[in-house]
Amino acid sequence: MSVTLVVGTPKGAAILQSDDRKSWREDFVLRGWPVTASVRDDSGRVYVAVNSPNYGVAIFTSEDFREWRQLPSAPRYRPEDRGNPEHHRIVSQMDFGGVLKEGGRFVDQIWTLHFAHGTLYAGVSEAGIFTSRDRGESWQPVDGFNEHPTRSSWVPGFGGLGAHTILTDAEDPERVWVGVSAAGFFRSDDGGRTWTPKNAGVNGDTGQCVHSVTHDPRNASTLYRQEHRGVHRSDDGGDTWTVIEDGLPVTELSDGHRCSFGFPSVMDRKSGNVFVVPLDGDNYRFPRDGKLAVYRTSNGRPWEPKTKGLPDNCFTAVLRGSMAADQLEPGGIYFGTASGTVFGSADCGESWTAIATGLPRITHVEAYAR
Amino acid sequence: MTGGSVHVRLPPVLRAVMGGRASLEGAGETVEGVLRVLASEYPALGLHLFDDAGNPRRNIICLHEGSLVRANDFSSWGVRPGDELILTNALAGG
Repeated sequence: MSVTLVVGTPKGAAILQSDDRKSWREDFVLRGWPVTASVRDDSGRVYVAVNSPNYGVAIFTSEDFREWRQLPSAPRYRPEDRGNPEHHRIVSQMDFGGVLKEGGRFVDQIWTLHFAHGTLYAGVSEAGIFTSRDRGESWQPVDGFNEHPTRSSWVPGFGGLGAHTILTDAEDPERVWVGVSAAGFFRSDDGGRTWTPKNAGVNGDTGQCVHSVTHDPRNASTLYRQEHRGVHRSDDGGDTWTVIEDGLPVTELSDGHRCSFGFPSVMDRKSGNVFVVPLDGDNYRFPRDGKLAVYRTSNGRPWEPKTKGLPDNCFTAVLRGSMAADQLEPGGIYFGTASGTVFGSADCGESWTAIATGLPRITHVEAYAR
Repeated sequence: MTGGSVHVRLPPVLRAVMGGRASLEGAGETVEGVLRVLASEYPALGLHLFDDAGNPRRNIICLHEGSLVRANDFSSWGVRPGDELILTNALAGG
């Protein structure tokens, strides 16, 4: 039993490997490339997304986490696709105007990679999804989503207009969910041809700032959603949502709404435990009073704080894609902070250890067990 | 260096795309012409030289025989066989 963590940062990816989940070996690969997402396919091949404000978006692949080959193709919009000016304005502030072109739509980041039923999915900003049926050698836009009738109402969040969450159903290859900041959560029941907003009980049809959604693909219709405006659960595939914040710290957002704010959400599928990392609202975006705490719930029970081994002077954030579960028994949970520390738990959150420090800002963590 | 081609030196991050190669040889009469030939020959590299609309990426800068050439001028900036192009990019702190 070994676990490999891919830890994405703006300067490359840390590769952390362990045979016992206690001692970890560390390498740093894809140096100079911002690493934003990763996934493993059913053959064991790993794909890592990179983006550069100078050199654009690409995907590297590896069989062993050591030797990396860039794929010859990557998700790209067509020259005629029209873009969102507000998204351009936000991302161009971060990249010297490099993608700002009159009216065009550009893939400036891959926010998530997903693999299911023989298909690779990429969720990107400016928001859209692409699929590949040939292991990433070529990519096709999912026009039913990318040209959704509500697109004109989508507004970018602070990080731009990005499709950052893709979920699938292990039993039904036609069913796919996508989360977009700040357009909300969508579901397709016909393999991506048509999409319906699934935000009832959150706040209107579209325009929500969904931060992350997690589930077990084998029980796909039970979904946990960390929204800008709190933590929600759905038991009907997203048709309806209910706030589940019993036990979570609740704070006041900038608009006065009180809820539990945070970014990542992760499920340990064997136990059914779900994990979130609350932050002190959208103004501060660090743990309340600096006391870093992971909260855990299972089967509708109140959330419990899990703090053993975590610092109480931590004024940083845990970002959207920066938490993962290894799906071993007992479940290993891992997360990285915006100040470059990776914490790991080999006992499903009961205790935590800093397993890597001194990294750049961490924007992605994924766990691959063998 | 080959007498009939332009010598193109890659920045370190793009060498990873080319299996560690630090430089390439390309033919063309302008900076953009040379880069398009390389993009055609090496599609993975081409992703980094041209954006979704097919234009040279705006943050790439080229040093040509001591002159700094920005992306807007790639299409009109002439090069000759035997010249050297050094590709680099806009830099930022941190």
